[in-house]
Amino acid sequence: MALPLTTAPREQSRARYPDDEGYVERDGVRVFYEVYGTNERTVLLLPTWSIIHSRQWKGQIPYLARFFRVVTFDGRGNGRSDRPTTPSAYDEAEFAADALAVLDATATERAAIVGYSLGAQRGLILAAEHPERVEGALFIGASYPGGGKAFDERARFTWEDELETDEGWAKYNKHFWLRDYPGFVDFFFSRIFAEPHSTKEIEDCVGWALETTAETLVTAQHGRTLEPEEARALAGRLRCPLLVVHGTRDEIAHYTRGEALADHGGGRLFLVEGGGHAPHARDPVAFNCVLHDFLERLP
Amino acid sequence: MIVAVSPREQTRARYPDEEGFVERDGVRVFYEVYGDAPTTFLLFPTSPISHSRLWKAQIPYLSRYFRVVVFDPRGNGKSDRPEMAEAYSYWEVMKDGRAVLEATGAETALLGGLCDGGGYALMLAATDPAVALGVAAISPSLPRLTPGHPNYRRHPSTEPLDTDEGWAKWNVHYWRRDFRGFLEFFFSQQLPEPHSTKQIEDCVRWGLDGGVQSLVLADEEAPPPFASAEEARDLVARVRCPVLVVHGELDNCQTRERALAVADLTGGTFVALEGAGHMPTARHPVKVNGLLKEFADEVVPPAPKVKTWTRALSRKRRALFVSSPIGLGHARRDVAIAQELRKLHPDLEIDWLAQHPVTMVLEAEGERIHPASAELANESHHIESESAEHDLHAFQAIRRMDEILVANFMLFHDVVRDEQYDLWIGDEAWELDYFLHENPELKSAAYVWLTDFVGWLPMADGGEREAFLTADYNAEMIEHIARFPRIRDRAIFVGNREDVVSDSFGPGLPEIRDWTEQHYDFAGYVTGFEPVSDREKLRAELGYGPGEQVCVVTVGGSGVGGDLLRRVIAAFPAALQQVANLRMVVVAGPRIDPASLPAHDGLEVHAYVHDLYRHLAACDLAVVQGGLTTAMELTANGRPFLYFPLRHHFEQSFHVHHRLERYGAGRRMDFQTDGPAEIAAAIADEIGRETEYRPVETDGAALAAQLIADLL
Repeated sequence: MALPLTTAPREQSRARYPDDEGYVERDGVRVFYEVYGTNERTVLLLPTWSIIHSRQWKGQIPYLARFFRVVTFDGRGNGRSDRPTTPSAYDEAEFAADALAVLDATATERAAIVGYSLGAQRGLILAAEHPERVEGALFIGASYPGGGKAFDERARFTWEDELETDEGWAKYNKHFWLRDYPGFVDFFFSRIFAEPHSTKEIEDCVGWALETTAETLVTAQHGRTLEPEEARALAGRLRCPLLVVHGTRDEIAHYTRGEALADHGGGRLFLVEGGGHAPHARDPVAFNCVLHDFLERLP
Repeated sequence: MIVAVSPREQTRARYPDEEGFVERDGVRVFYEVYGDAPTTFLLFPTSPISHSRLWKAQIPYLSRYFRVVVFDPRGNGKSDRPEMAEAYSYWEVMKDGRAVLEATGAETALLGGLCDGGGYALMLAATDPAVALGVAAISPSLPRLTPGHPNYRRHPSTEPLDTDEGWAKWNVHYWRRDFRGFLEFFFSQQLPEPHSTKQIEDCVRWGLDGGVQSLVLADEEAPPPFASAEEARDLVARVRCPVLVVHGELDNCQTRERALAVADLTGGTFVALEGAGHMPTARHPVKVNGLLKEFADEVVPPAPKVKTWTRALSRKRRALFVSSPIGLGHARRDVAIAQELRKLHPDLEIDWLAQHPVTMVLEAEGERIHPASAELANESHHIESESAEHDLHAFQAIRRMDEILVANFMLFHDVVRDEQYDLWIGDEAWELDYFLHENPELKSAAYVWLTDFVGWLPMADGGEREAFLTADYNAEMIEHIARFPRIRDRAIFVGNREDVVSDSFGPGLPEIRDWTEQHYDFAGYVTGFEPVSDREKLRAELGYGPGEQVCVVTVGGSGVGGDLLRRVIAAFPAALQQVANLRMVVVAGPRIDPASLPAHDGLEVHAYVHDLYRHLAACDLAVVQGGLTTAMELTANGRPFLYFPLRHHFEQSFHVHHRLERYGAGRRMDFQTDGPAEIAAAIADEIGRETEYRPVETDGAALAAQLIADLL
């Protein structure tokens, strides 16, 4: 991929600016949130892996805010949230706890939640452990460890050890990150957007990724994610409506992971044929229609 | 207006899987059950002015998703006609509904109702909340809830009046004098949308099925369900389940105020249909079906399933071909056009939504038949059921196919909602063309319309009524095209300008040929095969000897032609006397059993013959019906032929006849007057004759494909 990585010096104009913003603080870590609109029902857009922040939802917020109150926050490690230096601060459970704190801080009794990629893990924790707060859950490109296929190509390389090559998924490696973070970011997002003609989406993500550092991501990488059995148990405990959206060309989380999540959680599956890991960013209109339809039908 | 009421029920798109009676206080009520889906949808009847056929446009569609239960109200249909007015109270009908649910083993149900039916449904939901999952009340009536419609208050309904004009017909004395006149007036008011002749006819017939006494008892003498407005409001306010209220702004039976009151008191959703009358179920069935399904899905979310949306640039180029099953003609030409289209777009995938006998041709050609085709309501069977001895009233047959057309359009709509096609091609696919113009928001792909005739024409013995009806159908079509030119991206006439009849669409309407020239492209005729170059070789291949005079007798693909086959077979012995080397080959076709035909020594009878056109190209004479395809195949190959237009078949009588005259082809016969002797004589005259027909073009399919290809 030979994209010149020029990151715009300032954020581009938004279609919609927040009506309220603020911070919640837990164990000394400040997390930044935004609230859009004053509609009755709330949608909480969860953070994903801290390589990007809440601007990932820019294709959704202006539309959703016409019908719902939208709350979103930057995951710890990026955006306007703190970048804690202890690995355990990045446990999935911490992100779920941040979400709960944001709901409390914004006086949101109940919300539908939307999570992307790793956001599905924290979302599962939130929905399963606080069913009274979650009206429905929609997960996109879910990094669901409870089932589905892994990519052999990635399993060949370890993240922890020094490798002899930097080619392909060998870039998903601590040492490479620390050596050439922009190189990793460039590679990674070009794999996220498997769809041709995705230059702007890739640039956006690269820009957000450069707002944090390799060191922060290395720390976060040591945070505790869900074990397969644990993920299955959480999915099995879901009581709210569930919709899983997954691209069939997802190169990060194989779409069979989405299939498994829908199956284990008793939910529906919406496949985007030809879609990569981030259909909400790449096919925002189709995704927004599906999202709206899902939210509107929640009891 | 004189409304012709047909004597028997027309073919249904869907027949019940179960039926039975419930009996309460000695009154038997007839019910039907369709399908076996887990969720029951009970559709209440109205007052005995109608019966359960009222739901004919909904049942076939809804029963694909729900177990649909309908019943005839006491006083109409197959239910009893009790003689006491008390037996007709709203509460009794409501209880019949509950009894039907019990009898059919439904513990809970979605409830739907039109007019009084909406009232019954609300009453059941209010008094038996455990049963009602949701109520869809269309044009709801609930006495005393609000003041009644002013139409009912214009004149006293039980006192003799000195006028019968207008709403003075809402009067029991007039009913007893002229019930049919009342029904015609009443339903013209309830279907005020232009071009509603068929729906009005249906309602008049169903009204007559009940008779005047039931209506007098139910509407004028039965005790009102509520003593006061307050009591009615209290009851409606007790409804706890989700409610949908649909109301047409031109409703001449129920007021908007009443519909709004129902929505308001129940917290329900109110959907206003502008330009619609009291019976959107009948007049706007596609819209209403969509509303009912959407409502039901919200109340009872369908079981989890996987949906797929394909990214625009990841999509294959796909077309859906909807080929009319009436006769085999469309199938062959459509395959030819599809083959030419693939030459221009080699990546094009074509699916076919088609039914027997078209599917036989498609299967033989290796075309992909969409699996949903199996769910199409059968049009061929309907056409056969409408035919008598060599007689098919084509216009009425298509009119009386309205229920099948709605059902098949809904199926099409579901297919194209779930799968992405770039192009829809409809060859005389009436349901597609009509309902896309009636529901233009549903067009989501390029659309091509193909036909080989334009204009419904009345038969002479149909009188003024038929002239009025055909003109009304033509007028609606002309208005559709004028108002929504964006629906048909291409309209292709399979033929040439001169093949269009010089006739009028009707009084005050354009000339058919002028209008068609302005609104169609002309592809020329599409035979669907290469003309035969070496006829002697072909004869040898088919086993026809040089000394034989081969006469092929065929009636195409429909099952209507059995009488003609028998008549020609009866002429065989006499013909054999006059043509010594005669070899008669009868092709029964895919829908007639050859064993059902008489046998003669020397007479050959075959069932379906795949490449029938080759036999027609090789023969020395053919005897056929008046269908366009077969006649044109013979014309293209310069074969002499006798043709017998089906009686009352306007297309064969006018459109095809006009075209054959232009080609100087064929000898027209008359089934009414030409018996075996005349037929034998005509065979002797014509067999082996050299012909001088106008040549038929061979590039029609390619030209049609070019016209279509630009849209892909």
